[in-house]
Amino acid sequence: MSTGAGGHLSVDALLGYWLSDAASAAEVDAVDEHLMQCDACGETLDELVALGDGVRAAFRAGAVSAVATAAFVERLAAQGVRLREYRLPPDGSVECSVAPDDDLLVSRLEAPLAGVERVDAVAVSSLEPGVEHRLEDVPFDAEAGAVLWLPKVAQVKALPAHTLRVTLLAVGPGGAREIGRYSFHHRPWVG
Amino acid sequence: MPQVVARRRRALRIFFAASLGYPWRMEALDAAADETPEARAARRIAAAPPGQAADDEAELYRLLAPRIRRYGLRHLRDAHAAADLMQHVMVHTLSRLRAGELREPGRVLSYVLGTCRMTVMEQRRGERRRAELLERYAGDLPAADVAQVAPRLDEARVADCLERLPERERAVLVMTFYDERPSEAVGIELGLTPGNVRVIRHRGIDKLRRCVDAGRRLAS
Repeated sequence: MSTGAGGHLSVDALLGYWLSDAASAAEVDAVDEHLMQCDACGETLDELVALGDGVRAAFRAGAVSAVATAAFVERLAAQGVRLREYRLPPDGSVECSVAPDDDLLVSRLEAPLAGVERVDAVAVSSLEPGVEHRLEDVPFDAEAGAVLWLPKVAQVKALPAHTLRVTLLAVGPGGAREIGRYSFHHRPWVG
Repeated sequence: MPQVVARRRRALRIFFAASLGYPWRMEALDAAADETPEARAARRIAAAPPGQAADDEAELYRLLAPRIRRYGLRHLRDAHAAADLMQHVMVHTLSRLRAGELREPGRVLSYVLGTCRMTVMEQRRGERRRAELLERYAGDLPAADVAQVAPRLDEARVADCLERLPERERAVLVMTFYDERPSEAVGIELGLTPGNVRVIRHRGIDKLRRCVDAGRRLAS
């Protein structure tokens, strides 16, 4: 059990306790005992839990974008989250939309990812011609051969018709090389 | 198998210790806690005629209830179950103090933690005693609003702060907190070591806390 100033538990120790990173039952017991007498650490833990709740709520509300893994998306579906998924091969394009009752939107960008160390994504929307949004070092699922991007669905639902072009780049010591280009032709939901 | 045996032994130790009113392996907790406000309030409750120490009972409740609830949230992972645990343990502790059945009221913290542990184990075994006790004594609890101890955060602010994080930090935080997964599980999915996940998580949490705090200060 790592303690910081004044014998208080570090944020990492509290997070580890909360998320079951602690290796042994003895470590969990030790933190339980500390929390039973230390309100300062208890309040820090409350704050971390509230932050975690906030992250979950923001993601669940479609207010935040994230790159995730296939296993994570499968868990969302198993929990009853309504997902709309578009799967695109390299250089693929799709006519797409999002329904009012869709909870989350998943763009599965397939790409040859074996041996790739780092992936960057560059997105350009027809709503902002010439403006490039570069996402650096995005997590990818090498086993699934895809980058799973979950955009802010709350924002996408409000967008007018437009085209979004995304380019995936494998970045290595020798520079960046393109591994896939994808076009999303979005239309507002018409029912 | 040795883990199962150790768990059974521990459960038996807690069960027998708690059923006799003895604290369980709490020497360190008690050494530090003997002169705490909790210990003083518990002694006054034990010394007063039953039910005549309302202020001290309210004080003990105010001090201990949030900690019990926190314990319940961690071990039961359910806000309602944690609230039930909080009520049950407080009812049980106050009734023992009122009846003079706690041999060492100054060691109330040990007693409360031992009772939390025993109750959670009983709950996991499907015991119904908790609900019965709650039904019998819930009306005797001092009034104090500790149902929501965790601060509530502005969801829009959290979302805005999350969006400012690098992709990898945001992914780790979302995948960690969405269904509260340890670093090892997140690491397996992202092809990272648990240590790497903890480092990225630490950085992300640190930035997120500072950003949310800054927003709070601006708003107030």
